[in-house]
Amino acid sequence: MMILVTGGSGSGKSAFAEDCVLACGEKKRIYIATMYPFDQESKKRVLRHRKMRAGKGFDTEECYVGLKNVQIPSGCTVLLECMSNLTANEIFREDGAGEKTEDEILQGVESLKNQAEDLIIVTNEIFSEADTYEEETENYRRVLGNINRRLARMADTVVEVVYGIPVYYKKGEDFCEKSVEQF
Amino acid sequence: MEMMIGGAFQGKADLAKKTYPGIQWIQGEKMTEEELMNAQGVLGFHQFIKKELEQGREVQHLAAALIRNNPDVILVSDEVGYGVVPVDAFDRAYREAVGRVCTDLAAYSKRVIRVVCGIGMVIKNA
Repeated sequence: MMILVTGGSGSGKSAFAEDCVLACGEKKRIYIATMYPFDQESKKRVLRHRKMRAGKGFDTEECYVGLKNVQIPSGCTVLLECMSNLTANEIFREDGAGEKTEDEILQGVESLKNQAEDLIIVTNEIFSEADTYEEETENYRRVLGNINRRLARMADTVVEVVYGIPVYYKKGEDFCEKSVEQF
Repeated sequence: MEMMIGGAFQGKADLAKKTYPGIQWIQGEKMTEEELMNAQGVLGFHQFIKKELEQGREVQHLAAALIRNNPDVILVSDEVGYGVVPVDAFDRAYREAVGRVCTDLAAYSKRVIRVVCGIGMVIKNA
């Protein structure tokens, strides 16, 4: 089962995604962290997310680039957060996939989907604003937009979290909303 | 408490005035915290958060304080978190603050309406 969770900044999408993981039951839980803590602000952000996950029984796997190389035990619940970071890493980092980012990431997701029982991916809506950017940033937005669309096709459930409220675009039959809501 | 949210220029204020007739509205950008705690309806709640941050005040307590002191208020706010993460640290802090405060308030609100092109969609009706 695959769930794609999207939303704006500070929308509560991480908390919702963690609830989805808990609703998947008592399986081994793997958290794939993609944010490289390069400055004070990102370190604080990582710390905040760690606190949110504390006590929920996650094993953390760091993956800044090369998602397809990640090996996990079969049959577990995987939370990958966040696609916007992973995409930026692959595009902008020297050890990243550069122009091949879109396909590399999709291969990585396919590989995770084959290994995991349940896969929950958090991504980010960065597509609705008046500002236009230099080609470098526009390219990043284009690639992330393409990735999001391809992930949505693969996913059983696609949900946007709006200030903590789930708005569904696609809902899989086995999506257990009741158990998500009770957390 | 009820909220009406959405992007800029989507007709939130017009729809709010139609949906909640006869209540007194106050503009977020000019409002003090005391006025917020006594307001019936607030337009541009995100601008209040921006003003507070610009004047060096914290907003972490706001959601809890509003729920305690003014649980029946109607809040109209822009959603501001749907773009590329800004380069400027203040802009980043501002959009995140709006998100966190509004998420806490939405959790408490009985009803949340999201407005796109002037059309309200009820996304929460508890």
